[in-house]
Amino acid sequence: MSSRLLALIPLAVAINVAIGRIVAELSLPVYLDAVGTILVSALAGLGAGVVTGLIGQVLTSFVSGYVWLAFAPIQILIALLAFVAARRGGFKNLGSSIAWGGLLGLLGGALSAVISYLAFKGVTAGGVTFVTTVLVGIGMELPWAITASSIVTDVLDKALAFALVGVALRSLPVRMISRYPLALRAVGR
Amino acid sequence: MTAPAFSRQGLARRAYPLTGLSVAIAVTFLAFLVPAPWGPVSLYVASIILVALAGVGRAIRQALVVCLPLWLFLFVLHGLLGGGPKIDLGLFALSADGANAALAQAGRFGAIITISLGFYRAFDPSRFLNAVAARGWPMHFSYLFVATLHALPAFVQRAATSIEAQRTRGLRFSGGVFGRTRAVVPLALPLILGALAEVDDRAHALEMRAVAKGGKRTPIDPPTDSWPDRAVRWTLWITVVALVVWRFVR
Repeated sequence: MSSRLLALIPLAVAINVAIGRIVAELSLPVYLDAVGTILVSALAGLGAGVVTGLIGQVLTSFVSGYVWLAFAPIQILIALLAFVAARRGGFKNLGSSIAWGGLLGLLGGALSAVISYLAFKGVTAGGVTFVTTVLVGIGMELPWAITASSIVTDVLDKALAFALVGVALRSLPVRMISRYPLALRAVGR
Repeated sequence: MTAPAFSRQGLARRAYPLTGLSVAIAVTFLAFLVPAPWGPVSLYVASIILVALAGVGRAIRQALVVCLPLWLFLFVLHGLLGGGPKIDLGLFALSADGANAALAQAGRFGAIITISLGFYRAFDPSRFLNAVAARGWPMHFSYLFVATLHALPAFVQRAATSIEAQRTRGLRFSGGVFGRTRAVVPLALPLILGALAEVDDRAHALEMRAVAKGGKRTPIDPPTDSWPDRAVRWTLWITVVALVVWRFVR
């Protein structure tokens, strides 16, 4: 692993946590805890993105319980989709960033619903579980309620995260972005 | 005579760093392997006793804060709204199957979160890095983990500074969801661009220390891996393997 990646990855994981604080301050119904992972995948490729996501997940589990390690496959999916989006110029404008984020939200929400149902019986983070409880309360079956709440929250969350990373990549000075060939491709330069 | 600093520390901080990690991981596996619902509940009680004896009792309270909302949702989602035969408790009726499932899952959450936070409170990054280096394990992953732990407080502080600075400039934090969503960009963008600008300086520092080179490193003062530490680790892993086998042949 290069020195640049060893320097970039801890900062990206720290971005995930710090943006989580900003979102909490704004009382938004999303998490935005994958911005750093998406950013590294778009800058340095799939391997670096997967490592960033996994380190972030291990760290989250470290400070709030190893039970959350069950969501590690989601991090791999995020890195994979962000990498594919970057290769296909998915961050060149706001519309395409949101579209790729929405796609990730659909896939990630479906995967996280399966994990949530099998390992957690539907009880995970506050917002998603609240929506699940409301849906079960109005008569929906538990598996469908978990799937619906996971997908809705994930689509919003990932669309916003991709949009934010797109804005960040397009704001980078040429001197900085030219060090990351994949990022140049991601913004269509 | 003053006792050495480490002797005043609890058992968890004096133990070999990989022992605490092994206990935390083994409890995570055990929580899903022991028979439900009373197995996970007993494991939670055992975790509380272990964490208290290890000298990191504050983790019990912290774990309660994390667990309480999860328990509440389990009670509502499975106990009150669960299907199947009901147990009438006067004010409300509980689903028998749902209550069992909720109790088991609550025990799992309690045990895993308590033991994980106990390990977190006792975690010493430099002792952990030295233990990994002494064993000759690859340094990159453990370096990334410890470097992230060091970077986190600074970034959380930067986020707070960014929020205050933009508030001073008149950025509105209230209003509808759309307005608050738009505020994410001016708050988060300086954080992201600042981090990327920092990468080169950090990369040069790492280059000077040949961190990227890999290879075996020799720690100056590696922590001692005593026989009780080894005995605890082996006992735990043998227990986990035995329970996995038992679950499959049962």
